[in-house]
Amino acid sequence: MSYDDWFRKDRLPHIFCAGCGNGTIINCTLAAIDQMNWKKEETIFVSGIGCSSRAPGYILTDSLHTTHGRAIAFATGVKMAKPDFNVVVFTGDGDMAAIGGNHFIHACRRNIDMTVVCMNNQIYGMTGGQGSPTTPKGCLSSTTPYGCAETPFDLCELATAAGANFVARWTSYHVKELEKSVKAGLETPGFSFIEVLTQCPTAFGRRNKFRQVIDHVEFLKSHSLLKAKRDRLVEKHEHVPEDMFVVGELTRRNRPALGVKP
Amino acid sequence: MKLVIDEIRCKGCNLCTKVCPYKIFREGKKLNRRGIAVPELDRPERCTNCRLRNLYGRQLCGVCQLTCPDQAIHWIDEEPYEPHKVAIEY
Repeated sequence: MSYDDWFRKDRLPHIFCAGCGNGTIINCTLAAIDQMNWKKEETIFVSGIGCSSRAPGYILTDSLHTTHGRAIAFATGVKMAKPDFNVVVFTGDGDMAAIGGNHFIHACRRNIDMTVVCMNNQIYGMTGGQGSPTTPKGCLSSTTPYGCAETPFDLCELATAAGANFVARWTSYHVKELEKSVKAGLETPGFSFIEVLTQCPTAFGRRNKFRQVIDHVEFLKSHSLLKAKRDRLVEKHEHVPEDMFVVGELTRRNRPALGVKP
Repeated sequence: MKLVIDEIRCKGCNLCTKVCPYKIFREGKKLNRRGIAVPELDRPERCTNCRLRNLYGRQLCGVCQLTCPDQAIHWIDEEPYEPHKVAIEY
């Protein structure tokens, strides 16, 4: 028994580009779900539109492939109608942060018992590399050809401020940590949000000097700062590098949740 | 146990060459029928999971399997009496 049983084997190999990190994140999520001993009939995967949202099509459970940005809204409906079901949402940064931003913050506010895995590739990959709300400053995309001038969203800070019970951020390089984090999120009653920074060789890497997939993974590895180390630096009043992003389990609390299994 | 790369699923992204702590995967040179250079295995008997999976009765390491975006890496049991090399770790 392994997480391999959760795949629709006849649908593989999947449609993602060579080196896309979404497959890694599906592996880690399914490995965590496999440890939870959930039944396949009682687990539902919901997704919106985008590269990341192709994921439930390769998983052997009931799934909803919904309208753009409304994955969390549909998942809320599923959870309210059937509180016994386990709901996991796969979503991307353009899907969740841009068009579905309102649904996201209100799901955090209501603290609905579901797990949201956000595959953040920092660009709109499927539609041709337009800049998304999480494109870092100075990065090139087809709508920001002179470098993105806007400040990107920090999705974890947003989820924490809006009231989610569990918030974590990892990259597609940290597979074991991600698996543990997703498992902790699945166990937490209430809204759990896991942001995963991932490589996108076709739309993001091609324009931003990551010609090889490995270069981008190396960048994600070298620019991630563990939360414990960040806290140590802040405690000692030392300089925290600006170009690095904090990874780790950022929030865990026990606010009253909606739709928890009785 | 032995390590197997599924040539039908592999897309040749070479992420496994980066993550394996033993550097078992090497970039492939030869293109296969679909035009993809599938990574080669460099002395796969050194793999922790191959050596100790049956002894410990659980998955060990397995970072390559989790990282592979195309679900192409897995382990299979050897046939009975199949000859295989043994790696000794000093």
